[in-house]
Amino acid sequence: MSEELEGQASQTPQPSQPAQQPFNQGNSFPPQGGGFGYGGMQQSLPNATAVLVLGILSIVTCCCFYGILSLVLGIIAIVLSKKDIALYLANVGAYTESSYKNLKAGRVCAIIGLVLAGIMIISCIIFVSIFGFEMLSDQEAMKEWIMQMQNQ
Amino acid sequence: MKNAALLLLSTPQKSEGFIHWLENHLLACPFKKLTSLDCPGCGLQRSVIALLKGDIAASLKLYPPTLAILVLMIFALLHLKFDFKNGALMIKAMYIFATAIIIINYIYKVYNQQLF
Repeated sequence: MSEELEGQASQTPQPSQPAQQPFNQGNSFPPQGGGFGYGGMQQSLPNATAVLVLGILSIVTCCCFYGILSLVLGIIAIVLSKKDIALYLANVGAYTESSYKNLKAGRVCAIIGLVLAGIMIISCIIFVSIFGFEMLSDQEAMKEWIMQMQNQ
Repeated sequence: MKNAALLLLSTPQKSEGFIHWLENHLLACPFKKLTSLDCPGCGLQRSVIALLKGDIAASLKLYPPTLAILVLMIFALLHLKFDFKNGALMIKAMYIFATAIIIINYIYKVYNQQLF
């Protein structure tokens, strides 16, 4: 409801009012011209919030389903952030700096989450390739193996 | 989360029912099923339930990063709403802090044979 109202308000020329574009309408109002002449018409980057949220979620889910969920979230966040960074650098004056900072923070979070997920997946693959499924599902055998490792 | 916890605590009978339901509907960890070892995220759900009960010590004992992650998420939501001045930097720092706790916690577990 309020988003529609904001969208209508930004269509009418009101240079004194800083028009914060809603998230999903960011692409429908492409910035025109250079970075000059915008005055207060800076908008936030279309995917900054999404990238930040995805980046943070990628650490919470870093162990769900062998890290695959985190991997997917992290990759989505990095792809979105790459697009938005290009958008920002092409037209620096058109977007708010705080949203760019959010985007950068989200990107860093996503990269860390991705690294954790990668370690998780690689360790899973190593585990399976060393032990095989049968021994892994046998808890006693695993305990014995760990005790042997300790005694060496 | 805090409000939810307060709400739950203020209505003891209902809260017990809700927490009881949560305790019996924990998601199983596929890594633990496969290897019978804890993964770096094991304990998160038990820890959150302990926190819902108001037992911070038990929550920290079960899974230390829970509080750090919760604080990070709440701060991130507040930052998105109110746009703090150095919010992005703070989020980065807290994220790295939480990650460090997760990794240290797991290494500690491996060295102290608490994986089962």
